[in-house]
Amino acid sequence: MFSSLFTEHELWAVIHGLVLGTLFLLAFGGGLAGLWSLQDRFVTPEGVAERTPRLLWGTTIMAVVAWLTVLTGTFIVYPWYRAKPPAGTVDLSGFPRSLLLADEKSAFWHNFGMEWKEHVAWTAPFLATAVAFIVIYYGPRLVHHAEFRRVLLIMFTLAFMAAGVAGLFGAFITKAAPVS
Amino acid sequence: MTAQIQDKPNGPAAAAVLAASIGSFVLGLMVTLAEASVDIKNFLDFSKNYGLGSGVGPLSGKVILATAAFILSWIGFGFVWRKKDVNFGRVFVAAMVLLALGFALTFPPIFELFAPAA
Repeated sequence: MFSSLFTEHELWAVIHGLVLGTLFLLAFGGGLAGLWSLQDRFVTPEGVAERTPRLLWGTTIMAVVAWLTVLTGTFIVYPWYRAKPPAGTVDLSGFPRSLLLADEKSAFWHNFGMEWKEHVAWTAPFLATAVAFIVIYYGPRLVHHAEFRRVLLIMFTLAFMAAGVAGLFGAFITKAAPVS
Repeated sequence: MTAQIQDKPNGPAAAAVLAASIGSFVLGLMVTLAEASVDIKNFLDFSKNYGLGSGVGPLSGKVILATAAFILSWIGFGFVWRKKDVNFGRVFVAAMVLLALGFALTFPPIFELFAPAA
């Protein structure tokens, strides 16, 4: 069914950008709300016990999805993006990087957008993994420690910002020169 | 900041935070070094040199080395601090500085400053 809708390249680009990207956003929203609301004054001990597994799953899923996103992006989709066209190729539609660089107006999307996206995205799994580890390590004890939760919120948000930059430029670049 | 969790030392958590920032910094450093030197850029092409990531180019070496730095520093600090309470505030400040540098060095207008003059 999918083979009639997408090429293999398009399917992987959708998995990388849309499927995993959406999961990442969902997990971030859940994790952020979980971390923020895990406070003594907001929840009873029963509430802490009920919320902690959800927070644990939310942050763990975000970390796993962050890794899957950068791994599929870098090692599966990116080689198709940067493939060099054979000499004399006129139609560059199958070679996104070359297509973007062929026009001064679209070159920005590679020279700035892709150059930033392909690198900064990799900070997201590092940060998200550290957050997930700390949530697993401390579990319900986090409720008593506002300072630690603030640290986690900062790291969690930085991971989201890095992924956000990558996702935003990914969308613009795909619009200008899709991997097909 | 003196974040400590009762019954559990904060060393392992501090190690995770510091390792994430070290990974990010090494990534930024590799990006900038690859921009500054063709030899380093060629060395970082792990796809060509070691067959790791066909067609990925120098990005393969940058992310593999950054990930290795993340994992190894986590193992190292995690082992040394496994039963210790450390000054988490100091570790966090160091981590934020490394992260800021890492982010800055992956930003094209900054790392392109290190490109050799054409």
